[in-house]
Amino acid sequence: MRKLAIIGAFIVVVLAVAVYRAKLGAEETQGEIDTLKTEAASIGKDIAVMKAEEAYLTRPERIGPIARQKLGLEQAKPDQYTASEALSRRLGEERLTLPPVEEASPTSAPITRDSGKEVKPQ
Amino acid sequence: MLSFDRPQEDVWGPRRARMIAGVLAVVFTVIVGRSAYVAFNGPEKAESGMRSAAAVAATRRADIVDRKGELLATTVPGWSLAANPSAIWDAGEVARDLKTVLPKLDLIGLTAQLSDKKRQFIWVQRGLSQEEKDAVFGLGVEGLQFVEEARRVYPRGRLAGHFLGYTNIDGDGLEGSELAFDAQLKQGGEPLKLTLDASVQFVVEDELEKAFADFDMKGGVGIVVDTHSGAVRAVASWPAIDPNRRGDFSADMRSNRALNSRFELGSIYKPLTVAAAMDAGVLTPQDRFDVSAPVKIGAALVKDLHPLPNARSVTAGDILAHSSNIGTALIAQRMGVERQKNFLRSVHLLGGQSHVGPQTASPLTPEVWDATAMATVSYGHGISVSPLAFAMTYTAFGNGGNYVSPVFVEPVDAEKVDKAQVMSPDTAAKVLGMLREVVTRGSGKNADAQGYEVAGKTGTAEKPGPDGYDPNKNITSFAAVFPASRPQFVVLVVLDEAQPRTGDQRTASYTAASIAGKVIARAAPLLDVRPVLGASKVEAASLRVSEATTP
Repeated sequence: MRKLAIIGAFIVVVLAVAVYRAKLGAEETQGEIDTLKTEAASIGKDIAVMKAEEAYLTRPERIGPIARQKLGLEQAKPDQYTASEALSRRLGEERLTLPPVEEASPTSAPITRDSGKEVKPQ
Repeated sequence: MLSFDRPQEDVWGPRRARMIAGVLAVVFTVIVGRSAYVAFNGPEKAESGMRSAAAVAATRRADIVDRKGELLATTVPGWSLAANPSAIWDAGEVARDLKTVLPKLDLIGLTAQLSDKKRQFIWVQRGLSQEEKDAVFGLGVEGLQFVEEARRVYPRGRLAGHFLGYTNIDGDGLEGSELAFDAQLKQGGEPLKLTLDASVQFVVEDELEKAFADFDMKGGVGIVVDTHSGAVRAVASWPAIDPNRRGDFSADMRSNRALNSRFELGSIYKPLTVAAAMDAGVLTPQDRFDVSAPVKIGAALVKDLHPLPNARSVTAGDILAHSSNIGTALIAQRMGVERQKNFLRSVHLLGGQSHVGPQTASPLTPEVWDATAMATVSYGHGISVSPLAFAMTYTAFGNGGNYVSPVFVEPVDAEKVDKAQVMSPDTAAKVLGMLREVVTRGSGKNADAQGYEVAGKTGTAEKPGPDGYDPNKNITSFAAVFPASRPQFVVLVVLDEAQPRTGDQRTASYTAASIAGKVIARAAPLLDVRPVLGASKVEAASLRVSEATTP
């Protein structure tokens, strides 16, 4: 009976410690959750603002003049459109194909990376 | 001797001890069990916390985007200014300081509110801009506090301002889509995807704005609708408004003319009269009419503004091409009142049209539909409808004779399009051919956007006033379907009292038709309609094939 009482008391102490630690852990976790929630909400608001700013900055009345003045772009005229099939045919007729690979200039070959070293392709 | 003086044997003692021990054992077991559960199931609370976070996020008013996902309306953090009068020493000084940075404040009213020391919270101004917030912060005034509140913004400014509408400071929809879809938007979550195309909407609004440079006008409307699905790709009302600054615009400017105004749209009704008569079997394209002299139908003496070439023998095609009131009234006379009313009812010009989204104004129709009304309605007088309601009638010419209801929200399911056959495919094709002739040889030449085979009809109607029709005030309009060989879109342009700034040409041929042509030329590529012009037959055919297979 005495042993049983000692074991019971030991279990109670262990459980008390475990519960206390669990409580501390829960509070800590809750704090982390609250922090993350706050952070997520803040980031969500930032994203909303940035999306709004993006939409504001890409308004056609703003982009249009920039495209015309800086890039020289104009609205395509009707005679500049054609069907893709017709385009293929025209390319074939006018031999507007890309040069073969072997004719490409060696100096224009891209540099690739291999194991951290820069090497030129063979 | 009393009984309590005698010691008694406590027979219940051991039993009571066992019962107490048993109860304690149960309590102990419960405590141990619960402790073990808490110790090993800690994350439960965290999960519930995350659920509540998700629930909170879901209550944010949903964004509104166009069909391609371009942002049109969103909710961002905003700030409002509140005050605690009980913590303010000199209310007058605080109010005067605030007035220097928030000029719209009512100085007297605010001073009175701030002087009420029994109150601990009052709103000073809601919906502060960042600049205003910084300015107030810079004052360093006592007893003020900033309260974070959600703020509805429209980042593209005036784009589709009327159609989007706006909310009040508490986030309740007041006008336009914000009102029509208020319940859905308040649920939060995924954005509301409209059928509008922001690029096409911009083109329409831009052309209306440019039109103002050429014409002094009271208002304007531009609409682009898919003939097959009814999806509204653009719906513009001029003058445009910026929902971010709705307080800066008068009630008249805030009115969405495309949906909420009613106009007598004039001769753009004539194709409907011709279609109704052909479908009723009382008119063929070969039938000829004498329109050389005014005719009296009922009490109406119907005249043409300009005599037609070969006026003694003209076809329905000629009547449309040269917009003859006489010819159209004669066609209506063949058809009769009932057939005319039934047809107009079938295309919802007498009311009864319903759809999801912002609603249109109900039509004004003749009180007595007699021969006089029949004649005038045949060429678009005596009946007033909203521009959107009218635009939908032309969908039938572009899809084989089906009236299609307007659709404002994606996704548009081709299988579930709300449509009704209102004329035969043969009638639709023949009238469409006549509309093409209106543009190639008639009053709609200025709408002929190169390569887009515009088919349409002009309309010039005098505005009704208290003393009858005013010849100096016109509603000019142009309703079109394009491209005629493979119809895909309806375009309607309506101008209210458009007066040219130079010259005196104010009929629809020079006003609305010209604008419609410019809209089509710019909007067609954005709508994936490729032009066909001066190309070989093979190339033209391949274009048609490739576009016919485009979903």
